[in-house]
Amino acid sequence: MDALVKKRIKQIKKGDQDAFAEIVELYKDKLFQLGYRMLGNRHEAEDIAQEAFIRAYVNIDSFKQEYKFSTWLYRIATNLCIDRIRKKKPDYYLDAEVAGTEGLTLYSRISSDMPLPEKEVEMMELHETIQGEILKLPEKYRSVIVLRYIEELSLNEISEILGLPLGTVKTRIHRGREALRKQLRHV
Amino acid sequence: MNCPEEMIVYMHEYLDDDLEPENERVLREHLGKCEDCQALFHEMNKTVALIQSTANVHAPENFTASVIAKLPKEKKKISFQR
Repeated sequence: MDALVKKRIKQIKKGDQDAFAEIVELYKDKLFQLGYRMLGNRHEAEDIAQEAFIRAYVNIDSFKQEYKFSTWLYRIATNLCIDRIRKKKPDYYLDAEVAGTEGLTLYSRISSDMPLPEKEVEMMELHETIQGEILKLPEKYRSVIVLRYIEELSLNEISEILGLPLGTVKTRIHRGREALRKQLRHV
Repeated sequence: MNCPEEMIVYMHEYLDDDLEPENERVLREHLGKCEDCQALFHEMNKTVALIQSTANVHAPENFTASVIAKLPKEKKKISFQR
């Protein structure tokens, strides 16, 4: 593990909140991004990322140095995301729809001030389409796809984060990728 | 399409850096002569590129400060007493 992170964790175990702030700075975009792609909106993403950091801080004594710290952190955050997805299952599709329109609202807001170049608008719409398709994936495929392609983690890390055998991770990535291919092939 | 079924598996394994060199040779050879599989493989690669292209969101400005503000105070106190 990164020597600096190791040092900071020792300080955090002694209650040093400044050291923890450094760790938060280091990983905040990664966890926020994870939440955003898993849950579909910025508000929930922020909520989940904050909660993950707070849990990490409170439970820092249970972190074993032989593991990679980021794996442990991802594990906390991913579990929180999965819990939340399972709890709100009934409005699953509604959520995906809301997420799909987020970019358009953003667009109409910006466009009143300054017209965006056509290319950027297209880009934004494309990203919303992709995000919408990721959100339509069942949670078990969504998690692996987000960890693999948005967070760019290795198959081994994903297997540790999710507590799943490597073979299961592979199968899920294959199926998730295949589902997305079918949806995005004509994009 | 009369392609061997394992070609699709090989494509996925390739994308996961998990394909045996021997099978990679088989896949390449097959792709060289099968347009359908070429198209499929292209779509898979495109899908990956599309997903990756969305990886650019950032945490809000005040994120770290608001996490720190929410940390429980007790832990700090306990550690001071040590």
